[in-house]
Amino acid sequence: MDAGPGRTSHFAERFLHVDMDAFYVEVERLRDPSLRGVPVVVGGLGPRGVVSSASYEARASGVHSAMPIAEARRRCPRARFVPPDHRAYAASSGEVFALLEEFTPAVERISVDEAFLDIAGLRLHFGSPAEVAVEIRAQLREHPGLPASVGAATTKFLAKLASEEAKPDGFLVVAAGRELEFLHPLPVRRLWGVGAATHAALEALAVETIGDLAALPPATLEHRLGPSVGRHLAALARGEDPRAVEVESAAKSISVEETFGTDLVGEEAIEDAMLALCARLSGRLGRVGRVGRTVTVKLRSADFTTTTRSLTRRSPVAHTPQLWDAARTLLARMPVAGGVRLLGVGVSHLETARAPRQLSMTEDGRTRVADAADRVRKRYGEDAVVPARLVAKHARRRGKPPDR
Amino acid sequence: MLGRAARAVGTRSPLPILQGVLCEVAGGTLHVTGTDTEVTIRTRLEVEVLEEGKTVIPAKLAAEAVRKLPVGAVAMHAEAGEVEITGNGPRFRLREYSVDDFPQLDVGADGPATEIDGDVLTTALAQVGVAASADEARPTLTGVLFEEEAEGLRLVATDSYRLAVKDLEGVGSPGTALVPYRALREIARSIADAKIGLRFGERDATFTSDRGSMTARVIESTFPNYRQLLPEAYPNRLVVERAALLDAIGRASLVAEDHIPVRLNLHEGGVELTVTRQEVGEETEHIEGEYAGEEMTIAFNTRYLTDGVAAVSTDDVVLQTIDPLKPGLLSGSAGMDFRYLLMPVRL
Repeated sequence: MDAGPGRTSHFAERFLHVDMDAFYVEVERLRDPSLRGVPVVVGGLGPRGVVSSASYEARASGVHSAMPIAEARRRCPRARFVPPDHRAYAASSGEVFALLEEFTPAVERISVDEAFLDIAGLRLHFGSPAEVAVEIRAQLREHPGLPASVGAATTKFLAKLASEEAKPDGFLVVAAGRELEFLHPLPVRRLWGVGAATHAALEALAVETIGDLAALPPATLEHRLGPSVGRHLAALARGEDPRAVEVESAAKSISVEETFGTDLVGEEAIEDAMLALCARLSGRLGRVGRVGRTVTVKLRSADFTTTTRSLTRRSPVAHTPQLWDAARTLLARMPVAGGVRLLGVGVSHLETARAPRQLSMTEDGRTRVADAADRVRKRYGEDAVVPARLVAKHARRRGKPPDR
Repeated sequence: MLGRAARAVGTRSPLPILQGVLCEVAGGTLHVTGTDTEVTIRTRLEVEVLEEGKTVIPAKLAAEAVRKLPVGAVAMHAEAGEVEITGNGPRFRLREYSVDDFPQLDVGADGPATEIDGDVLTTALAQVGVAASADEARPTLTGVLFEEEAEGLRLVATDSYRLAVKDLEGVGSPGTALVPYRALREIARSIADAKIGLRFGERDATFTSDRGSMTARVIESTFPNYRQLLPEAYPNRLVVERAALLDAIGRASLVAEDHIPVRLNLHEGGVELTVTRQEVGEETEHIEGEYAGEEMTIAFNTRYLTDGVAAVSTDDVVLQTIDPLKPGLLSGSAGMDFRYLLMPVRL
C-alpha cells in the first residue's frame, strides 16, 4: 500500500466505465455453447431486421450493429444468425447490475450492458481502481459468466474512452496526471458530440486527433462550430468533464418501449406486448427502488402517428399488475385499429420506494445519525458505515479475494 | 384467588421466596399476597377458619393445583413445613417457604384517596394502555400518567409513536403518579370490582377494592411534556364507521404483517386503504365516510392504527390530520374525552 504523498489521491481514477463485450451474443453463447468460437449475429430476422449485436468474429467481417440483417448476411455468410430474446438479455442484465451494485450503489445505468460507477467509496477496501476493475471483471466472468471491458479514469468521459480502448475483454486505467497523454493521440471522432457534420467542419480545420483540437484557439473553434458546441468540445479535448455518476433514481421518469418488426394487429397481440413491457418496466423500477403515480402509454401506429395517454393513481405503482391495469385502461382510449408499430409504457411522478419509516414524536439525535448513515450508505455502499466494532470484519470480507 | 395474587409473582425473580405467595388466615378471611417487590397484589376471600396462621407456598404450583381439583370445597392445612391442599379426594402436599423470608411490605400507601367506578377505570386503562411502551429499556414510557386536571382525572400514555389521553370528567384525582402499565393491567384481572379506590403515596400507588389490593412502585422519572405534542388544529377530518374501518385494517393486515404500513387516501366520500408488499401483493378497499379537507394520503403502522381505532368506544371514529408527516388524531364521534395521537409512517 502506498503511504506516501500519493496516499490522499490514490483513488483519483474514481470513475469506472463497465461495458459488456458483445452482450447479446455472449448471453446466447451461455445458453448455446455451440455458438462459441464462431461468428454470431443477433438481430431481427424479419424483413426490417437490423443487427443488434455481433460477435468479434463477425465484426472482423465488417458486420456492425444497426446494419440491416440482409447486409450482414452478405458480409458474413458463415455467421450463425440468432433472433433476439430480450427477456433473456434483461435477466442477464439484471444479474450484471446486481453484481455491480454489490460493489457500490453509485451505478449509472447507460443501457442494458453499460454503466458508469463511482468507486470513490471503495478506497478502504481496495488498493487501487485497477484492483476494482480486475475484481469486477473476474466476478462477471464467474457469474453470470460474461466478458466485460472496464475503463477507469478521473472523469466519466475518459473512463468510457478507456473501456473502448480496452475492448475486447480487457481493462485500462488512465492514470491521474496522464490524461492528455492518453487522450490527444485519439482520433477526434472519438469525442462525444462529434457527429458527421462536426467531423466535416473539423476536417476542414485539419483537425484529426483530439490533440489537434486542443491546440486550436478556442475562438476559432467557437466561430466554426458555434459557441456551445465549441466550448463543449474544447473542454473535452482538455480532458475536462465535470459530470458525476447519476444514479437512475434521480430520473424524472422511467420507461420502456419496443418497435416491432411487423406491425402488431389485433387487441390480443397488442395487449400481450404491453403486458411484457409492463413486466420489463416493473423490473427496472424495482432495480432502482422507485415507484410512481403517473403511468403513460405511448403508441405509434402503422402510419407513424404517435399518441400518448397518461393517468395518475392515488398511490404510487411499481408492480406489473398495477402497471398493466393502468396501461390497459389507457390502451382502450387509443387508436389501435390500423396496426401498431411501437409501444411504450413509462412511469413518472417518481418517488423513492425507500423503506417506510415510523416517525416518532421525539425525533432524537440517534434518528438523525441513522438518517445520515443511510445517506452515506446509499452513495458509497452498504459497508461504508458500519458499527465501529465491525469495521475490521467488513474490511476483511470486502477486501481482496483470498486467492490473490 | 391464588391465581390472581400469583400474577404479581415474577417468573424472573432472583429470590426463591418471591416465587411464593403469602397466605394469611385471620378473622374469617384469607389474604393471599404475591409480589415481585415492584408490584404487589393482595387478594382476599371469606373462608371458614379452623385455625389462624400464615404460610408461604409456591405460587404457580399451588394455583394450578387448586385449579385442577374437582369442583367443591378446598381445604388448606399447614403443618411441619408442608402445606396440604385437599378437595374431594386428591391431596397435594407442597413444601412451605419460610414466612420470615417473605418481604415485609407496607401494602397500601397513605395519602389522599379517591374512588372510581371499577368499569370506568378498567376501560380507561385499557384505552390508554395500548399506547404504553413494553420496552423496559425506556421505563418512563412503560407507565400511565395519572394527572389532576380541572375537569377531573386524566390518564396519559405514550411510547413516542402514539399518545393516548383519556379524561375522566368529574372524577377526583388523588394527585399525580406515573404507574407501570404492567401493574395496572393486573387490576382488571385480579381485583376489579364495582368500586376501586386510588391512593398515591410517595413511592407507591395503591388500588383497592373489596376483592383485594394492588400496590405498584411508581416510576420516579419525569413524563414527557405531552401537551406540546398535541397539535392545536387539524384542517382535515374524516368520520367513518368504526367497525368497518377495523375490519378493513384487519384485512389489510393480512398482507401487511408488522412492518408494512397501511396507506389511507382521504378524499371526499371516504377513505381508500391500500397495503402493498413487494414480494406478496396488495390489498385495497374503499370505505364510505364523511371527509372535509384536502385530499391526502397518510400511512400508519397497521398495528398502531388498529390499537387506536379499537380503543375508540363510539360507533363512529373520527380521524383528523394535518399532513402526511404530522400526527393524526383518532377520537370518538361523541367528544374528545379519549384522544389517540398517532405518528405516521414516512413512505
